[in-house]
Amino acid sequence: MFSLLTPFRSHKYLLLQLTQKEIKARYKQSFVGYAWILLNPLAQLAIYTFVFSLVFRFPTNNIPYAIFLFSALLPWTFFQTTILSATNCLVNHADLLKKVAFPREVIPYSVVLGKLVDFIFATAVFFVFLLFYKVTLHASALLFIPIFLIQIVLTTGVSLFLAAANLLYRDIQYLTGLIMLVWFYASPIVYPLSLVPAEYVWAYKLNPMVGLTEAYRSVLFGYPLEISILLWSAIVSVLVFCFGFLFFKKVERVFADVV
Amino acid sequence: MQPSIIFKNVKKEFLLQEDRTFKEFLPSLLSGKGWATAKEVLHDISFTINQGETVALVGKNGAGKSTILKLIAGVTYPSSGKVSVIGQVAPLIELGAGFHHELSGYENIFLNAAILGMHKKEIELCLSDIIAFSELEEYLHVPLKKYSTGMQMRLAFSIAIHTPAPIILVDEVLAVGDADFQKKCLKRLTEIKNTGDKIIVFVSHDEKSVVNFCERALLLKDGLMITDGSPKTIFNLYS
Repeated sequence: MFSLLTPFRSHKYLLLQLTQKEIKARYKQSFVGYAWILLNPLAQLAIYTFVFSLVFRFPTNNIPYAIFLFSALLPWTFFQTTILSATNCLVNHADLLKKVAFPREVIPYSVVLGKLVDFIFATAVFFVFLLFYKVTLHASALLFIPIFLIQIVLTTGVSLFLAAANLLYRDIQYLTGLIMLVWFYASPIVYPLSLVPAEYVWAYKLNPMVGLTEAYRSVLFGYPLEISILLWSAIVSVLVFCFGFLFFKKVERVFADVV
Repeated sequence: MQPSIIFKNVKKEFLLQEDRTFKEFLPSLLSGKGWATAKEVLHDISFTINQGETVALVGKNGAGKSTILKLIAGVTYPSSGKVSVIGQVAPLIELGAGFHHELSGYENIFLNAAILGMHKKEIELCLSDIIAFSELEEYLHVPLKKYSTGMQMRLAFSIAIHTPAPIILVDEVLAVGDADFQKKCLKRLTEIKNTGDKIIVFVSHDEKSVVNFCERALLLKDGLMITDGSPKTIFNLYS
């Protein structure tokens, strides 16, 4: 378990370089470049706002729907894009895996860090929206950061598992797209939790993204925070990370043989 | 600590996964039979390489040379036996590996050097040497995808040759590039060799460069080590 943090010290510079590559390379040879980081969530926002605030109407406790949605959509986008690209990250670095030895988890970690930078940029748009709709955040909004850290743990755990699993069986990458779509609608992102039928809520809350998403909205807009489901999410996140990490480390030795 | 490479009764087998459909796969899983067959590619290999030695691995395709390099590099592990490598290893990476084609040559120097285990300060120290050796000053800020294969090879070689790692693996990379650059590389490798504190493991089919450059060679055939001796005797056996 001590090996958990060593790559951050011994391979700090490699991690930094791979993260930079993640960010830089993605938007090279593109006209608007980094603006894609903002254009993607904006387009999604426009679509969902149209569908779910004009066509269907969800009760959002007097918060403009766009703000209600954005507060959950941004963390979700981080979750989804990280997992989708982490699933392919080892396969894409096959040539490295066969040639140079370094702690392999540096590769998925660099994906997580790269997407984290995207997330921070996209957050800027969120603040512009807050000004536009004249919504003021609650003082507890700073608690967003520790809750988001829990989500990073969960995201990294899922990423480690899927990256290694996809190296063994390429079916995983196709499956992941499907699972993320289901997971998106199984979390209260475009709709409020209050619309979930009461008899299913307990099962619904088993999904760790439910506790996290609800907690984001609670701290940002000052609703009462439901500690028990956030705690559940935190426990699940840590367990998922441990499982993902141990699985990754266990199959790491055969990476070069199977890739 | 003196760098060294010790192989002791090393065996390596790979699992060959044959293409199978789910319909065929399921019964074999239920009956408990393995669905992948093992193929042994190295049988009982033992040797020791000490500081200052320059050793060539000679053998036909499939003899196990690349597998040995991978075992030394630490990217794969023996099925049985023991591999002990003391000292950091810098593989002269094959063309393209570790490079990103959308990034510029300059950015790729830092990326690739980091992959080879160098830190920022180490890279900055020898950055001008790397650039000068590659002779690519004017193309440094061009994306790598615009480079010819020869240019990419030159950049890769220039980076690898400047690592402080005591163990250097050279896997036929010299085959690419024009005659002048090949000569320059061999000259540089000879300089490194003459410092006497590094280990260079060299894989090549080119008899001349092996005889000129290495004082020891290992002849491999079908995963067995046939002889360990001077390059001249080896090549008499080989051809």
